[in-house]
Amino acid sequence: MKGIVFTEFLEMVESKFGYTLVDQLLLESNLPSGGVYTAIGTYDHHEMITLVDKLSQQTQIPVPALLRAYGQYLFVTFTKAYGSLLKQSDSAFSLLSSIQHYIHVEVRKIYPDAELPHFVVEQPEENHLRMYYQSERKLADFAHGLIDGCLAHFGEKATVTQTNLVDDGSQVLFDIVKE
Amino acid sequence: MTHTDDIDILRRRLEREKSARAQAEVILEKKALELYHANEQLQHLNEHLEQQVRDKLAELRESEQRYRQLIESVQDIIYKISPDGFFTFVSLSVEKLLGYSEKEFVGKHFTDIVAPGYRKMLIEFYQTMIDGRKDSTYNEFPVLAENGRIVWIGQTVRLIEVDGHVAELVAVARDVSDRRKAEVELQTTQIRLSSLITSLQSGILVQDENQRIILVNQLFCDMFGLSRSTQQLIKQDYSEAFAEFKSRIEHSEEFVQKALQMINDQVAVVGEVVRMTNGHILELDYIPICLDGRHMGQLWKYTDVTEKYIAREQIRISEEKYRGIMNNMELGLLEVDNDQTILRAYDRFCRMVGYSEEELTGANAKELLLPADFKPVLDQQQVERQQGNAGSYELQLIKKDGSRIWVLVSGVPIADQSGTIIGSIGIHYDLTERKQLEGELARAKQIADDARHAEKQFLANMSHEIRTPLNAIIGMSHLLFDTQPSRQQREYIEILKTSADFLHSLISDLLDMTKIEAGRIEIQARPFDLAGLLRSTQKVFEMKLQNRPITIDVMLDARITGTFVGDEVMLNQILMNLVSNAEKFTEEGYIEIKARIRKEEDSVHWIEFTVADTGIGIPEEKLDLVFQKFKQVNSFGHKHKGTGLGLAITKELVEIQGGTISVKSRAGEGSTFTFMLPFAKADSTSELVTKTDNSLPVGNELKVCHVLIVEDNLMNQKYITSLLTKWKIPFTLALDGKKAVEVAKNERFDIILMDIQMPIMNGYEATVAIRSTQNPNQHIPIIALTASAMLDHKNIALEAGMNDFLTKPFEPSQLMAMLQRYAPTPMADNENVVDEKHLIELYGNNPAYIADMIDTFVTEIVPEVLSLPAVCQRKDWTELARLAHKLKPTFSMVGLPLLEEKMQQLDKMVKEGTESSLLEIYCNDIATETSNMLPILKEEIQKFSQM
Repeated sequence: MKGIVFTEFLEMVESKFGYTLVDQLLLESNLPSGGVYTAIGTYDHHEMITLVDKLSQQTQIPVPALLRAYGQYLFVTFTKAYGSLLKQSDSAFSLLSSIQHYIHVEVRKIYPDAELPHFVVEQPEENHLRMYYQSERKLADFAHGLIDGCLAHFGEKATVTQTNLVDDGSQVLFDIVKE
Repeated sequence: MTHTDDIDILRRRLEREKSARAQAEVILEKKALELYHANEQLQHLNEHLEQQVRDKLAELRESEQRYRQLIESVQDIIYKISPDGFFTFVSLSVEKLLGYSEKEFVGKHFTDIVAPGYRKMLIEFYQTMIDGRKDSTYNEFPVLAENGRIVWIGQTVRLIEVDGHVAELVAVARDVSDRRKAEVELQTTQIRLSSLITSLQSGILVQDENQRIILVNQLFCDMFGLSRSTQQLIKQDYSEAFAEFKSRIEHSEEFVQKALQMINDQVAVVGEVVRMTNGHILELDYIPICLDGRHMGQLWKYTDVTEKYIAREQIRISEEKYRGIMNNMELGLLEVDNDQTILRAYDRFCRMVGYSEEELTGANAKELLLPADFKPVLDQQQVERQQGNAGSYELQLIKKDGSRIWVLVSGVPIADQSGTIIGSIGIHYDLTERKQLEGELARAKQIADDARHAEKQFLANMSHEIRTPLNAIIGMSHLLFDTQPSRQQREYIEILKTSADFLHSLISDLLDMTKIEAGRIEIQARPFDLAGLLRSTQKVFEMKLQNRPITIDVMLDARITGTFVGDEVMLNQILMNLVSNAEKFTEEGYIEIKARIRKEEDSVHWIEFTVADTGIGIPEEKLDLVFQKFKQVNSFGHKHKGTGLGLAITKELVEIQGGTISVKSRAGEGSTFTFMLPFAKADSTSELVTKTDNSLPVGNELKVCHVLIVEDNLMNQKYITSLLTKWKIPFTLALDGKKAVEVAKNERFDIILMDIQMPIMNGYEATVAIRSTQNPNQHIPIIALTASAMLDHKNIALEAGMNDFLTKPFEPSQLMAMLQRYAPTPMADNENVVDEKHLIELYGNNPAYIADMIDTFVTEIVPEVLSLPAVCQRKDWTELARLAHKLKPTFSMVGLPLLEEKMQQLDKMVKEGTESSLLEIYCNDIATETSNMLPILKEEIQKFSQM
């Protein structure tokens, strides 16, 4: 997992709960990397799961909510860091539709070792988008937060229904209907 | 939270931050290095790429050049055309193929060059291509070349699309005229062949290698009663069709086996007989169709040969029949080719020669069967066969056991259809037994002939032996009359003479009859003076009838003049017999000889002779008997006796010459014998006179006449010399032929009397010797004195060159008549005198000159005239013509117009190529006449020189 996910996560924890919790999380989690992350590095995604589980324990906030919140937070970071990528799209649906074939393609150019989820997108109606999420990381909630962030970025409102297609959460359907 | 804690947190945070920064720096360092390398590589790549681009560009240019050359060098036209049909590019080959220059061509619309009649079709074709976006198409069509010639083009067109639009079309076009032409020809040939096959007068079925029908004609369907049409049958399986007509073929299973065998063998089969259940007979030809050794199917050809088959069957049956007949006949048939190689020997022939047919066939008939002495016979026959002639001949064949058989062969040439003789067939009939019989017969005949010959010889000898003394008796009795006998003696002599005469005629007649019956009398036709003959007959009898009250008259048709061709001897004999007969039975009155031409045909004159008398006549009831042998009407009570053969002989002689004889008579009034004979007329203008009628009144003496007597018999010598002495005729005597020839060489005579049967050299030989050698007597009359009265002997005498003959015994009057006839006496008759008047007219009154002329003629010309017969005998016609022409005018110069006429006649005949025998007579005649004239001419010389 790319280092930026770790650094931004720790930024968000610090900004919401202070560096003490960050320090606590890093110390208690017994991480192989020793809790030293740089945005351009690559780290085992289990460390992220461990950090999120620890945070949930400390804060009593469930893991999905934490992941969704982190998604929403990270998207804002993305808009600042990779604005040029987002400029290609003029709407949330447009951006969401281009993830698989455009954004992920560009990400791989920069980080050839990036492990990215697979999306199949279909648009039955003008205001209706179906996104099929598939990833062994099973981070659909994180993706949900990113979708929320995207809608928020374009100032659009939509109902996002998350449905597990398999029990382990490796395949998930996002049914997005704009208001 | 404590301050210490805070510090610890911060320290840890700082450490984390520091570690993270160091980590990031390592990563960045690594990334930077990667970037540096990547950049290096890129830079390197870029440089390489530029070089590559340069190389590729050069390569491209080169290849473009190559392709362009290729395009230009290919035979095919490569062109580009816009979607609206205008040419935008064309390869140079267009000029070669169609004659248009590149400039001319580019810009043209494609319909401009497509041959009329194909334009619309092509527009549609390529429109469809463009509309359907078909990548590539192929089409063939004719175009107009620049010179108006039609060229068939086959082109592949490709569509070039740019951005989903048809930019242009690229085509490769090729001249396919030759192929097109070949295709059309192939198609024509195919149509022609298949229509030929279908219209053949045979049922045809062609199958492919999978037994499917490719071609079948109507006749096939008709033959086998197939219900489907020929078109319906094509591409069908043969076995289906076969199932339909199988039942029509007799023994169809066998047929199927045979057909399968044929297909298996792949060898053409011709004339296989197929019998149909309806009685028809077909001939099947199987022809395998192969292409480069690969079986492509077969052709079945069925021909209805029912009629031919039946006809052939009939021929075969008939041939068998005739072969059976031939084999059972006693005729052996043998067929050979032109080299006598035996092609076929029939049973009977094999049995004849004892060989088997196998032994004979192929052998050479000439070498195997023919004895060497018969080879010329066969060779001669072979020549005839080659000329297409059939012929029969006899020859011997050698049997296998070596014995010989005689066969009669009837050979017939065999010709093939074109008429060329290819051999012959010989039908042999075994003659061996007949030949044996024939041999026996021939031996028997030989014995009989020998006997007859001996008999004849005996008769001939008898004739001679009896006649010679008889001649003496008759002659002496004549001479006795001159010895002043007493009355009684005269009476005895008379009886003696009559008896001798009777004996003489008896023997003559008997001999003649024997001859006639033996068929030994042949007609000897030669030119003679008919009128002269009649007159001399008259003369002979005038003498005989001197003291009796009987006249003898000759009445001649005015047309009977000149020379006739016939048997003078026979005619003389007939007349003699008839006149003698008349004389015998006539006491007084007349005997009349009449001759007139009854019929004149092309070359034949039928002359009717009549001998009438005023004698006792013949009673009507006995008329039938007169011509019969040994029948005498007046056998009793008449003083004249005879053999009874005279008239029978006469009748025979007339009939031998193709004539007829009849008699009319009334008892007491006389008889009339009439006979008619055919004579050829020699030449109407010719006046050949071989016997000049220079008769003298009886009793007149012969003035200038020197006779050579050739006679070996003493009695006859005495008789003749006595007579000649009595008549004061000078003579010389020669005792045999050889002496006569010697005497004749040295002395000239006027007449030679020549006996025939003499020792040392007989009369014929002596005559030939005198006539054929140069001597003064070469052309002198020679009279045969023959004891043989036989007619054929007389003819031999004439052929030997004798002028006449006298049969012993003869009477003095007969000898006198003969001497008178041939003696060269100058007589009142003006034939043999010099025309003095003419000479004086010619030379004026100059006797010395005339004498000189005649003298010159005698010394210079006469020898040449006398050489004429010799020249003629040599058959030197050139010399004869030259002499005749040269001598012709000389006769009138010495006053001999008659001889000149004869000479003219001779000249004319030589030029016309008249036959040699006639020329010889003319030459002899002229020579004789001239020599006869010699004494007269000599007298004339004396006469004129004394004037």
